[in-house]
Amino acid sequence: MSRRPHVLFLAPAMAVLAAVTIYPIIYVLWLSLHRRLLIFNISKFTGLDNYGFLLRDDRFWNAFYNTAYFTVLSVSLELVLGIAIAVLLDRAFKGKGTMRSIVLIPWAIPTVVSAKMWEWMYNSDFGILNYLLGANINWLGSPIWAINAAVFMDVWKTTPFVALLVMAGLEIIPRDLYNSAKVDGASRWYIFTRITLPLLKPVILIVLIFRTLDAFRVFDAIYVLTGGGPANTTETLSIYAYNMLFQTLQFGYGSTISVTVFFCVGIITILYVRLLRREIE
Amino acid sequence: MRRFTFYILLFVVAFYCLGPLLWQFITSLKLGAELTRLPPILPDAPTVENYISIFKAYPFLRVIINSFVVAVSTTVLSLVLGSLAAFALAKLDVGRKGLILAFVLSASMFPPIATVSPLYIIITALELRNTLTALIITYTTFSLPLTIWVLTSFFRKIPNEIYLAARVDGCTVFQSFYKIILPLSAPGLFATAILVFIFSWNEFLFALTFTATIKSRTIPVEIALFPGIHEVPWGDIAAASVVVTIPLIILVFALQRRIIEGLTVGAVKG
Amino acid sequence: MIRSKGAQILYLFLFSILVLQGCNRETPPVENDQVTIVFKHGKLAGDPEAFETLIEKFEERNPDIKVKGEVLPSLSDEQHQFYVINLEGKSSDFDVFAMDVIWVPEFARAGWLRDVSNILPTDKRAAFFKAPIEAAVFQGKIYAAPWYIDAGVLYYRKDLLEKYGFTPPGTWEDLVYIASEITRREPGLYGFIWQGKQYEGLVCNALEYMHSHGGDILKDGRIVFDSIDNRQALEFMEDLIYKYRVTPELVTTAVEETTRHIFGTGKAIFMRNWPYAWNIFERDGSIVKGKVGVSLLPSFPGYQSSPTLGGWHLGINKYSDHPKEAERFIEFMTSYEAQKTLSLTVGYKPTRRKLYRDSDLIRAQPFTAKLYDAFEQAIPRPITPYYMMISQILQPEFSAIISRIRKPQEALESGSKQIEFILQLED
Repeated sequence: MSRRPHVLFLAPAMAVLAAVTIYPIIYVLWLSLHRRLLIFNISKFTGLDNYGFLLRDDRFWNAFYNTAYFTVLSVSLELVLGIAIAVLLDRAFKGKGTMRSIVLIPWAIPTVVSAKMWEWMYNSDFGILNYLLGANINWLGSPIWAINAAVFMDVWKTTPFVALLVMAGLEIIPRDLYNSAKVDGASRWYIFTRITLPLLKPVILIVLIFRTLDAFRVFDAIYVLTGGGPANTTETLSIYAYNMLFQTLQFGYGSTISVTVFFCVGIITILYVRLLRREIE
Repeated sequence: MRRFTFYILLFVVAFYCLGPLLWQFITSLKLGAELTRLPPILPDAPTVENYISIFKAYPFLRVIINSFVVAVSTTVLSLVLGSLAAFALAKLDVGRKGLILAFVLSASMFPPIATVSPLYIIITALELRNTLTALIITYTTFSLPLTIWVLTSFFRKIPNEIYLAARVDGCTVFQSFYKIILPLSAPGLFATAILVFIFSWNEFLFALTFTATIKSRTIPVEIALFPGIHEVPWGDIAAASVVVTIPLIILVFALQRRIIEGLTVGAVKG
Repeated sequence: MIRSKGAQILYLFLFSILVLQGCNRETPPVENDQVTIVFKHGKLAGDPEAFETLIEKFEERNPDIKVKGEVLPSLSDEQHQFYVINLEGKSSDFDVFAMDVIWVPEFARAGWLRDVSNILPTDKRAAFFKAPIEAAVFQGKIYAAPWYIDAGVLYYRKDLLEKYGFTPPGTWEDLVYIASEITRREPGLYGFIWQGKQYEGLVCNALEYMHSHGGDILKDGRIVFDSIDNRQALEFMEDLIYKYRVTPELVTTAVEETTRHIFGTGKAIFMRNWPYAWNIFERDGSIVKGKVGVSLLPSFPGYQSSPTLGGWHLGINKYSDHPKEAERFIEFMTSYEAQKTLSLTVGYKPTRRKLYRDSDLIRAQPFTAKLYDAFEQAIPRPITPYYMMISQILQPEFSAIISRIRKPQEALESGSKQIEFILQLED
């Protein structure tokens, strides 16, 4: 059989992707090798100088640490919660459709709005959170709370993403598998860890990859909530890159930070695939 | 007892997901100083003034239609393009699958704020500025990675025997794709469709950059236009967020029904 | 069969894209001598109709020009980002645009603005407040015309001050004293609230303490940031929260609206904010209606009140195809008449001094007329193309001070070092 039709299946998607993404990728990579400071009228090729500077830049390492902390914490919480919710809603009950729609709500609210909404709820004077808890916590202003407040909001917002995909994954697991296990007298926990989870691995891999990708690039949510404060304790790599690119017009260095994000995410993805592949096969 | 715990859990989940929106809804019924006064939680005199104001003061209907067109087109485009590609990657004899899947991801690995400038240059060169097409193309591009990855994984789950049997029965490659593989992956298609739809419905950065006129404005940009130079009309924003979220939920609910029905039909046939 | 199905789908795409295109392509302009200029600006407060009437008036008087207004979100950061992307891409999509006062030298240095000396020759500049004109001049040329002005002011609870026999404070020490006295007798009130989130507004606030203590960031192009004056001013800012305890810790996340809401529900005695809040407090149904007074910000003994200058300027896009028409439009928009209309309708404060003696304006908005002194004394943030870089450095440093992560002296040293690094970048 000729391979031509196979290529035809792939071609449209690849064409769109290539047409729209190749230029930006090259553009950013190329800029990252330049010292380009618009307001000093400087634009020259400096090779890897920007990367050298990056390694010595405290603000970069601070942002890197914040980003890593945010990513690890929010992705793992989302994964656990998302799977729990999906499993809970997998069984048959009355109102299942309604419940599954409700679960999607946090994801459906535009980030620009939900970040503002949480800023409002976190307000330590008139916010509902302190009122309900009877507490007086400066959620976004304390260096200890601020980053965790951002994580909490992100978990709330994106757990539906995880839950939705895992629910879909659960749906195509053949029911006979469960039934035969039940007949054998297996406990629920046993079924979950030995049957459900292994079968979910491909979906979990995808969820992990895409959630990490997004969490590592987090921008609007934190930018609206804290603006990177207090004292840069919530500044992530994307916020740092944004400040360099659009606030201070340092296009070269801003691109360098972006490329770093690109490589970090790439490495993490490869690790995930390696780790989970081995277990799947 | 078991059932009881189950319903308690359901309630907790529902409250956790709904709570903030509920609060947003309550806020949207308040005016002026009441917005920031606690207690009471519930307004003394609920008002729909904020809702009237958003449709009167802003071209809100137009914007909702724009968003709808963008989101539907993006969803359809990415599902069609993505499922074709995923089918090839899952069931056909294509070389270097890993590499292709990696390439698909690569564009989504930059912070969007870094790619917005070069994309702006492309959009300008194609004379697509201020068109919904510009947004549809961009959103499709950034939705394709998720679509392709998810669908590839779902297609792989379908036993090769089913696909091969179809081929033996005389189906062409394409027929076996849309008659056998697609229906069997309905849950995956549905989940992807929702994720892509909501992503396009809510995207802000590209929409702000590529569109400047009301003809092509989408919901998030319109909501960002609510605040004045210092004053933020929080009541209006609360009302708007309720107005744009509810139809989405109804849509999901209706679709869900359809899909579940479709699934049972498919199962009977199978 | 495959072919036709596949082809059908393909057609469907192409068709839908074409249809969408058709929907959105703008109708080509009718061929005549009329020139259309595009005016880009942040969303205006209040009723958009007043603004449209103003544009119609301009078009009536200039039949050869048509003006198309396009709005952007009013958030300063979002606008900055929009203009940077567009102007870096050499967009000629808009001709006239509104800039935050702090961007003018930056955009001028980047080569994105046209010199507007034609509209504002030296002899015409005296009609405007000094600070906004100064802020628009870069290397001897003027690059933008002041459109409307802003400056920090002190809001106070008139009723409470009267009740306890106080007059509005002239010095920061007075403010602390009055605030502690009243909060002692009326527990549950905040003494003094201001904006302390890590953002541009925090720099505005901090500069007011520094300037009113004789400090500054740059002087004649040299850094004078690490000075005793600045240290004492910033120590005072920290002490407001942790020593005098008249300022609640929540200011470390507050922006203008946060403080406005708290003050508006009657929970604070003093507030630093921009003039916009006044009209909201005086609306029907406002809890503090008739109870609010406004005065100049206090200073340290021996120094002048030093409100930070805000406001927006109008400039011409360097890539504009219609610079002459753009000039005429800016001339109109910054004229006495247009500024008066804008002030009366949407409440934008005029940049022309004479308007503050205009009898209509005084009658309709006695409050605006009273702001004259604040605007006259307003001090611009450092006028330099790299102001945005300086602000990026200072925001986290100031935030660190009020969150007690760093001592003021450490912040001054660290900030100074970083600014120095920027200055030596310029070849």
